[in-house]
Amino acid sequence: MNTNSNTYTIIYTTIIVTLVAAILAFVSQSLKSKQEANEKADTISQMMTAAQFGTKADFQKIGNSAVLAKYAEEIGQAFTVGTDGKKIADLDLDKVYSPKELKNQNYKIKDGNQPEIPVFVFKNGVTVVPVYGAGLWGPVWGYIAFEPSSNSIKGAYFDHESETAGLGAKIKDDPEFQAEFIGEQADFASANVFDIVKGGAPKNQDGTSVTDNKIDAITGATMTSNGLDAAIDTWLGAYSAYFKMTATSKSCCEETKTEEE
Amino acid sequence: MKETILNPIFKGNPITVLVLGICSSLAVTVTMKGALVMALSVIAVTGISSLILSLLRNTIPSRVRIIVQLVVVAMMVILVDQILKSFEATYAIDKQLSVYIGLIITNCIVMGRIEAFALGNKPWPSFLDGVANGAGYGMILLIVAFFRELLGSGTLFGVDILNWLGYVPNNLVILPPFALILLGCIVWVQRSIQKDLQEK
Repeated sequence: MNTNSNTYTIIYTTIIVTLVAAILAFVSQSLKSKQEANEKADTISQMMTAAQFGTKADFQKIGNSAVLAKYAEEIGQAFTVGTDGKKIADLDLDKVYSPKELKNQNYKIKDGNQPEIPVFVFKNGVTVVPVYGAGLWGPVWGYIAFEPSSNSIKGAYFDHESETAGLGAKIKDDPEFQAEFIGEQADFASANVFDIVKGGAPKNQDGTSVTDNKIDAITGATMTSNGLDAAIDTWLGAYSAYFKMTATSKSCCEETKTEEE
Repeated sequence: MKETILNPIFKGNPITVLVLGICSSLAVTVTMKGALVMALSVIAVTGISSLILSLLRNTIPSRVRIIVQLVVVAMMVILVDQILKSFEATYAIDKQLSVYIGLIITNCIVMGRIEAFALGNKPWPSFLDGVANGAGYGMILLIVAFFRELLGSGTLFGVDILNWLGYVPNNLVILPPFALILLGCIVWVQRSIQKDLQEK
């Protein structure tokens, strides 16, 4: 057969491409549930890392089922709120938001289209909220944990899809960057709720970071830092009404808590 | 047959002699685990795509042969990535290797061996050639990763080896430039053993 004729070439490539597409679609569908389970355990370990229950490496060591068990033990309540700070609905305690779901809510926040954003409150009172936005090459997202009824940050963990290894990828890989967040305070009254500053955040005389809403950006990763900064501003901005409400009702809630106990 | 297997591993090693696949060998050799997973992934991709394309070699229209090769290799790379993502043990490593699994498709070893060997040889030798080239690549990866993880983190496969002796990990070793220095040393050792590789 003449393998160089036009008809042969067209038919041949069509068959090959269709075949490959079918194989990939089949494999993708059959592995989906396993991949989602892994992603969920990963998301949970990110939230728990932000809330300082351990390091990401610890959670990786103990495995998926142990991570889920620890989360079930520690999580107090989970619910969604609107940008007005009012609670919309309770979430199942084993429900977390995958990056894809965060993306959907991100669009809604940007369009002012009644987002329903999740709040996770652990039994020790630590509140964890997600952030999501665009980095340099792809999405960046993460979790920021706040001390009970306060704007003081307990910890943070970030992840990304395809930032440059060694530069932008440091938002995930560099524990020092994530440690910068600890002890800083989000300013929910301002439009710039939190700033990642190029050129250096204000420092005390001994070199430690001033307790404010500013931290240092990553050297060589301006675009990723800016993207993460925008993601944090957008999302914490959307949560600001909720955090203002919990801060003003602080005294009342602490009392009710002791009564419950 | 023996030559097909042994040549890519030593005398015609894709990294140290042909100098292919350097980029990923600098990027994924910080830990032994990462290097091992990467090595196995590349072996699977080179072996199986060589086999498939060798089986198809008489039917492929020569004008679109590169595209057909690309489609098959891309399929293998995506399959490997999907499978790594599905297992608990490999999920974290897949995330750590991130783009480099996807970038196996741009690894010149894969396309190079298909074009140079698989399209002109029977399936079984082509499969062996693909596997052997992947193994030659993986061997160098593991050698580099051995020194980088041992000196850079004081561990091997995550198990503490040097730290309890009071060793202070050397951060330079973790950075990509050190991988290049190590690779240079390996090339040096190989060339001083195999004199026929030296240029006059």
